Amino acid sequence: MKKILIVDDEQDIVESLKFVLEASGYDCFTAFNGEDGLRLAKELVPDLIILDVMMPKINGYKISRLLKYDNKYKNIPILMITARSQEEDKLIGEETGADEYITKPFDLDDVLRQVEKYLSRENDGYRNKQNA
Amino acid sequence: MAKVFLISDRDYVIKKFNELCCNNSYSLSYSADTEIVEEILSGDVFDLIIFDNEISTLPPAAFIKKIKTIRDNSVIILLKDKKEVDKDVIKSINAIITSDFDDNLILSTLSINLRVKNSLQKLSNTNKDLADSLYRLNALYSTSSQFAGTLDKEKLIEYMIEGLDKSLSFSLTCTLSFCSGNSPVLIINSLYELSDELIDAIKLRSIINYKSLFENKSIPFEIDENDLQVIKTVKYPASRFNFSLFQFDNMFAPIALGENFYGCIEIFKENHFTSEDAKCFQTIAQQVSLPLKSATLYQEIIDTNKKLEKLEKLKSEFISIVSHELRTPLTSIKNSIDILLSGRCGENTPSKDKFLNMAKQNVTRLSGIINDLLDISKIEAGKMDFHFRPVNINSVVDYVKNALSGLAKEKNIEIISYDNPNLPEVMADSQRLEQVLTNLLSNAIKFTPDNKTIKIHTSVKNISEIQYPECFSNDMQKLKGDYILVSVEDEGIGIEENELLHVFDKFAQIENSLSRKVGGSGLGLPIAKQLLEAHSGAIWCESEVNKGSKFYFVLPLEHSVSKEKALRIG
Repeated sequence: MKKILIVDDEQDIVESLKFVLEASGYDCFTAFNGEDGLRLAKELVPDLIILDVMMPKINGYKISRLLKYDNKYKNIPILMITARSQEEDKLIGEETGADEYITKPFDLDDVLRQVEKYLSRENDGYRNKQNA
Repeated sequence: MAKVFLISDRDYVIKKFNELCCNNSYSLSYSADTEIVEEILSGDVFDLIIFDNEISTLPPAAFIKKIKTIRDNSVIILLKDKKEVDKDVIKSINAIITSDFDDNLILSTLSINLRVKNSLQKLSNTNKDLADSLYRLNALYSTSSQFAGTLDKEKLIEYMIEGLDKSLSFSLTCTLSFCSGNSPVLIINSLYELSDELIDAIKLRSIINYKSLFENKSIPFEIDENDLQVIKTVKYPASRFNFSLFQFDNMFAPIALGENFYGCIEIFKENHFTSEDAKCFQTIAQQVSLPLKSATLYQEIIDTNKKLEKLEKLKSEFISIVSHELRTPLTSIKNSIDILLSGRCGENTPSKDKFLNMAKQNVTRLSGIINDLLDISKIEAGKMDFHFRPVNINSVVDYVKNALSGLAKEKNIEIISYDNPNLPEVMADSQRLEQVLTNLLSNAIKFTPDNKTIKIHTSVKNISEIQYPECFSNDMQKLKGDYILVSVEDEGIGIEENELLHVFDKFAQIENSLSRKVGGSGLGLPIAKQLLEAHSGAIWCESEVNKGSKFYFVLPLEHSVSKEKALRIG
């Protein structure tokens, strides 16, 4: 079963994502702050991470950057959830190598489609882009 | 009584003239000694000098030269008897008499020359006055032009003092100015160095003068002598001259215009001030008040603008922060509804579905409003980024038509698009164009009753072929050249003619019963307008009440600015 890590300080959002993804047959792990998220990502080495940007202590950009610069984790696809739609935020995200951006309020079915896209591609030997 | 000086050493001549003068009320002094003559002439001014050509103490030419060096403008009458008159002497004298002239002839010569002398004196005085006036006028003129050249209050006060110096050449001015920041300043301009005691005295004096202007009223600005800042400028600091205010003549004037008070000025001079001086002083003090008032108003406008800008920025920031904060809870609500609607938590009854759908629609509406708010605040803050690429408008029309077909179907509205197949591509941000067209089309659907039709046209037109209502001419007259013209025509409620321009104002949904039924942020059209302006395009509309509205927008075929930007981005 594919492992998905959901990191967001909004428990309600984590809850709903988890509900839908588990119903679709994914094994979900959750973290409610950046520190726990980073620790779990390294422990579990999940198949995909859904990451909120705005979190206390370590924000989503930083986690993404730390993971993408590490050979061990850089192939894990990251879906970034952002409450901002501003272009400059996207630029910061691109530098950190997140694979997709989902703007709040998002559609759960869209998220599901994105997850399926990355995880099925990975099955075909797809390697997501590697930013330096 | 006219004063006559006789230079002669002949007793009989002296006796003759003494008698003559006594009888005809001239006062006569005489001498032939060069030293005595020199001394007398240096000390006293004579109206006439009678010079005896027969004098023996010094050759006449040398003697007269001496007299002229002492008093250049002396009127000299030569008394000639036997001796030849030197050529140089002739040049320097005004008249010649002989001692055998009869008394009347001598007297008339004296009186004519006296009159000539007085007239010349008057003329030279008038000339001097004229020159003074001219100089003063020039000083006033250059000061006025300086006043007109600045809106800086401190500079204006500086120019005023400069102007006074030029036209009145004062020894000392003390200006109490309320034109530098919030606290009063005492500006002292002096020819010579001032002692600390004197400066303290001037401080007190200036404050008393200032307060005396408002005897029965409250003073416009509070003032404390201990906090009074002094700016001192000394022209000749090395001079040891000791100032004492009491030896000077002084004048004082307020610098004010009506209710507006800017300060007061006292001016000191060693000589007496004339009434001309007083006029000039008053004029300059009054003249500076008007530009000071303008400067004050100008400063107020700048301050207000700064405040407004700050408020505008705060507002934009507020909207963007609030919008972000709203998105998160909205996401949770939307997710919960979606999960319930999807049936993942079990089957719903039809009425459960109905209310869940109602909730979902309103969440969608709310997030639309938040997006609009964010967009408009971003555009206003100049933070909206555009990605210009060649775009085919027809594909934008198709995309938007498809995206909104569901909404149209609900009201059984037909959308017909008349695509022009030969439409050239334009440089544009296709996402933003989709946003513009979505706003126009969803408005059309919103305001059109069920079972009607909406038409979309695309074409290429030169701006000269395009017609638009008068009220849009301000924006439209700026356009030049060829444009792609897109129109969205509905059969809706229409817009009153006097409201046409205002539909593009923020939050301006036209008040009527139908519009209240349809929701919306009221930001769709202003956003569309701003987005098109960023494309160097324009938007306008024409409408007939109860028949329908037609919204048009144009995009330039030549969009040089965007090409540059596209190159930079691409």
